[in-house]
Amino acid sequence: MKRCLLLIVLFCALPISLAAENRSQEEGTIIRMRMTDCVSPHHAFMNAMSGVGQVATGELCPEYVLVTDKVVYVIIGKGSDHLVPLAETTRFHFQNNEVLIRVDDARRESRFHVKEMALRLEWDRNQKLVDAEATAIMHRHLEGAVMVEARQ
Amino acid sequence: MFWGGAIFSSMTCRGFAQDAATPAELTLRSDVAEVRMTFSTTDQNNRVIATLQPSDFAIVDQDLVVRAFRSFARSEYARLDVAVLLDASGSITSQFRQERSNVLQVIAQSDGVPDESFSVISFRDLRPAVVCEGNCRSLNAAAEFPAVVSGGQTPLYDSIVFGSRILARGNDLHARKILVLFSDGVDTISLKSLTDAVDSALDNDVAIYSVDISAPPHLYPGTLVLRNLAVNTGGRYFPVEVGSAKVLDAILEDFHAAYTVAYKLPSHTTGFHLVRILPTHNLGLQFHCRRGYYYPSNPEN
Repeated sequence: MKRCLLLIVLFCALPISLAAENRSQEEGTIIRMRMTDCVSPHHAFMNAMSGVGQVATGELCPEYVLVTDKVVYVIIGKGSDHLVPLAETTRFHFQNNEVLIRVDDARRESRFHVKEMALRLEWDRNQKLVDAEATAIMHRHLEGAVMVEARQ
Repeated sequence: MFWGGAIFSSMTCRGFAQDAATPAELTLRSDVAEVRMTFSTTDQNNRVIATLQPSDFAIVDQDLVVRAFRSFARSEYARLDVAVLLDASGSITSQFRQERSNVLQVIAQSDGVPDESFSVISFRDLRPAVVCEGNCRSLNAAAEFPAVVSGGQTPLYDSIVFGSRILARGNDLHARKILVLFSDGVDTISLKSLTDAVDSALDNDVAIYSVDISAPPHLYPGTLVLRNLAVNTGGRYFPVEVGSAKVLDAILEDFHAAYTVAYKLPSHTTGFHLVRILPTHNLGLQFHCRRGYYYPSNPEN
């Protein structure tokens, strides 16, 4: 009887624990990637939040811009080989102020420092300004070229 | 229009507007900038992947990740143009005989490559010299290869620029241009720099397959130079002990399993666009492509 009860309790608890795990998982898309100076492993997040510059280690690490529905994260790997597959969807979760990403069949998750965070709305607004500026520069270039051609 | 591996095409759409008095033909013109990259793929065991899908990779152009491609297909290259660049300088005097034999083996084993597609260039002292062009299978090694003078200088970078220009002379867009470089990676006298050499290969759409003839375990600075040349131009690096057959196999495999992907220019930033091709799932895949392309300040020129 006790065994039956235990099985029922376990059976009921399983979906709850799975749901809890799923809730902690977030999804996003990597839209930018570059190699940049690695940062000192100590207090990277606190340094970023307090405005203190990152301490470069001389090695190059991958830096990703990870866009979710509400927040945009700039995350940086802890080593040059901390690469993430650039799939459409990247699943991740947080632990101790770090972003953890499991790479396909890898046994362990890769840990990334959070270098910057921004609200998606704010980030989109900034992005539009940057795009508009780039378009304006391009048009100025093209107009300049047309003027030169016309003079010739 | 072709610019360093990137094609910026101007597409004209024709429409018709009906006017009550004078029917007129309206031409709508739109500039569509498109980048084309040719690449090959190997797995973690350095085996060429011939069944790649567009969902297997993403392109990072400057910093921007591109997953939407305009087209993806097997490469349109119809033939190979191969120039073998042979270091005949004093720094490799002791290996020269072996090196020469490797070059002759490469040429002799290349059944899939027509004779007219081969050139051999040697370099030492102040300038490179063409040993043969188009008739290299009938090369008399002893008579036609220059003798090595001990203590001679090594114009490696100048010779890469020279070899790239020789390959570009054909001006055939359907030819895959390959420079096979047998060297220890040491330059002692070039007027050009390593950057000039890489740029020249990129400008002329030449891939460099470098064969490191320095003594194992290849820990010399020259090895880094040879790796750099291969990685940046979409070629590959080999230590000499793998054998010339392996080098030729890799060239032919890459040629037969090359893909061309086209995508919309993601940013109009002028200057050099650094390009990386990275996997979307399998991190063991390695993509061999040129390091990037130049986007001119005025793309119409």
